[in-house]
Amino acid sequence: MALNLPRQHLRRMKKIRNRKGYDLNISGAPSDALATLSVPATVAALPERIPFIKPRLRVKTGDPVQVGSILYEDKTDPRIVFASPGGGVVGDIVFGPRRVIREIVIALDQEETAVTFPALTETDLDGISRDDLVARLLEGGVWPLLRELPFRKIASPDSRPPSIIVPLDAREPFRPSPERYLTEETHPLFVFGLNVLKRLSDKLIVFTDPRRKGICRTFKNELTHTIEGRYPADDPGVLLYHLRRGPEDNRAWFIDGQDLLLLAGFLRRGTLPTERLFVVGGSGVAERQHVRSRLGAPLKHLVLAEPACPEPRYVVGGVLRGYRGNPEGHAGLYETAVNVLPEATERDFLNLFRPGFNKPTRSRTFVSAIKNVPMAMDTNVNGGRRACIACGYCSDVCPVDILPQMTLKSILAEEVEEYLAHGLLDCVECGLCSYVCPSKIELVETFRQTKFEYHKEQVS
Amino acid sequence: MNPVRRFFDGLHPHVSPGGKYEKLYAFYESIETVFFAPLERTRRLPAVRDSLDVKRYMFLVIVALIPHLCFGIYNAGYFARMASGLSLAPVPVVLTGLWLVMPMVIVTYVVGFFWEILFATIRKHEISEGLFVTCMLFPLTLPPATPLWQVALGISFGIVIGKEIFGGTGRNFLNPALTARAFLYFAYPVSLSGDNVWSVLVGGAERYVDGYTAATPLSVAASTTDGQTVEAALEALGYSPLELFFGLYPGSVGGTTTFLSIVGAIFMIVLGIASWRTILGGVLGVLATAYFLNFIAGPDSMPFLSLNPYYHLLIGGSAFALVYMTTDPVSGTHMNGVKWFYGFMCGLLTVLIRVFNPAFPEGVGLAILFMNCFNPLLDYIEVKIRTRRRVPNV
Ligand code: SF4
Ligand code: SF4
Repeated sequence: MALNLPRQHLRRMKKIRNRKGYDLNISGAPSDALATLSVPATVAALPERIPFIKPRLRVKTGDPVQVGSILYEDKTDPRIVFASPGGGVVGDIVFGPRRVIREIVIALDQEETAVTFPALTETDLDGISRDDLVARLLEGGVWPLLRELPFRKIASPDSRPPSIIVPLDAREPFRPSPERYLTEETHPLFVFGLNVLKRLSDKLIVFTDPRRKGICRTFKNELTHTIEGRYPADDPGVLLYHLRRGPEDNRAWFIDGQDLLLLAGFLRRGTLPTERLFVVGGSGVAERQHVRSRLGAPLKHLVLAEPACPEPRYVVGGVLRGYRGNPEGHAGLYETAVNVLPEATERDFLNLFRPGFNKPTRSRTFVSAIKNVPMAMDTNVNGGRRACIACGYCSDVCPVDILPQMTLKSILAEEVEEYLAHGLLDCVECGLCSYVCPSKIELVETFRQTKFEYHKEQVS
Repeated sequence: MNPVRRFFDGLHPHVSPGGKYEKLYAFYESIETVFFAPLERTRRLPAVRDSLDVKRYMFLVIVALIPHLCFGIYNAGYFARMASGLSLAPVPVVLTGLWLVMPMVIVTYVVGFFWEILFATIRKHEISEGLFVTCMLFPLTLPPATPLWQVALGISFGIVIGKEIFGGTGRNFLNPALTARAFLYFAYPVSLSGDNVWSVLVGGAERYVDGYTAATPLSVAASTTDGQTVEAALEALGYSPLELFFGLYPGSVGGTTTFLSIVGAIFMIVLGIASWRTILGGVLGVLATAYFLNFIAGPDSMPFLSLNPYYHLLIGGSAFALVYMTTDPVSGTHMNGVKWFYGFMCGLLTVLIRVFNPAFPEGVGLAILFMNCFNPLLDYIEVKIRTRRRVPNV
């Protein structure tokens, strides 16, 4: 809709407010500085980290590969293939339990070569059919960058989404600020990318936080919405929750800003861009900044300095959604952040009786609640597992108005209709409910699992 | 090393799996984490968690109740000595109060823990800190003269019937402390109601000294007859509004003071551990109903109908119960919207029971238990309304 209107109409950005959510008061924010790293010795693809696919290898150890060579495909839809983030030789292929493919490591050559496709200009784009465009994205292995709500799996190449959402924001601690990769320089490429998306869907939604003044200025013609509010207001699912009018709007696609640049760069140049901007943050590491490196770079390579704590935990992604990474491993396709947190080691004596001057909390049960300075967080669960005490904190924070405590009950009772009616599929997996729960119930984990199982039943 | 740490480390092997007392692990964990913050690393998302746990949450409710306990000790001692004609100097008053109240508190905790450990062991779950609160609330609702065996029986009933048979903390829909209180009320009406249970005789005294009336303000209000206002009748017995506000009259151990209840309410609301909606709803319910009774009261109706509505919050345990009993998160309504209704109805029923049912001088406990039964339904209605408003996503 918005898309087919002339440009001037787009200038009237719609404003949305997200009233719930929560911004963590956590220290260890990265600086805005941007370091360019040397080329790492290896890069890798991580099939394990692509949800809902059944990977099948197309290479074996010792095979020479180019940038953009196909490393593996999805068994359930072999059109979906994954491109190599580097040129060189396939080294280790790391398997996990039950033969899941963890990493396909590529030892990089000095001079990397790349698989080349014909470059696509703006005019070519107007001439090419939608089917051909889809085919090109699939062939080039960049299709997996497009993902589909509500399951956040790779978009289905055969469907036409009701809309495509491009979030240009980062509210989770800590992810790269979009200002670092959305600049005057990358603006034309970004616009090209949007034009590609316009061929895929009739409706395009590009949004940011109104406080990101730079983005609002440079991208004023492209932005369709601004959304103000706390984390996870940057999530496409949250925006969709506020915008959708009917069930037909649910299956929207989304693509991260940086991924769109990658996709556009691939079409424009004909080769897969391999550069990736990461952020290194968290109180467990002293040198915190943005780094320019490679897709699939080794975590140790990104975290330059030795961690500043005895037992560091590498969280790949933000601290709420990221997973525990193996420090010897690599970053996956969608990853843009490594946060190093100190593992919990101490048991505070008489903690219960102390006012708590440096205890980060969303509640008001520690004195720290009145001071608004970021505090260090470790990986302590901070309490024993208890039965739900119905405090309602989880539903106070849920950005999409799920009632997590109630939804959990219907999941445990296996009332499928009921938990769907509660909006389980709207869950954006932000993790806030688990974060705030004083009973330390693994809410988000249960929701993810249930969504996963439900999806499995749907496709089979 | 910290000697407390050494003590727990010494115990740990015995309660761990394979140890002699492995069945007591839940109890060990419960007490050990009072002293040492638990240490467990996140294994699932998200990697970091809020510092608040149930232990602190419940502990803060107890903090709010401590002033009530202290006041109750003083108050019980004061009226016991006054009734027995003994000196009212502060030190003996406190000592008498301690002697009267602490055994009740201790018996409640010991018996309460016994049941909780038993069920925690059978069901293999943790000891929920809600127990600490229940065991603090219950003695505060009792007359100081309650025999200890009744205290033990009451809390047993409250925990076993009010909570555990429904599946334990989190599944119970009745407030366990109130269940315990109501059980005693119905099982032993003689020793727990009437005018002579609120002041204990101490120091060998055999009956109340001459001129001492042990009537509680509520029974005064209920028994005032035509031609006199309740306010005047109370005043005549020395219960000025200020004394009522501070709770300086014979009554349940900790439940008489409206002043401390307000302090506690503010404390818990500021900390976000009690629902202001429920409390405010309750206060509004009391006032609205009492005003309505004022309005319908004719010249011939009983004086209780015309009682100044604010008195309903000053006399009896209404303020205490509306602050601490309705706000139990588990047995209260879980949804925010119906909290207003739930609170309001508790207030409304309290006044109605007080005024119209001579069998029950205090109605607030029964009102809350009665409303507790409807809470699952109220929640169900609100959840239904809210889910119906969603754009479906299936
Ligand atoms: S239910 Fe989902 S969306 Fe809501 S707070 Fe939990 S993780 Fe976030
Ligand atoms: S935050 Fe945890 S304890 Fe509180 S209502 Fe939600 S699930 Fe229950």
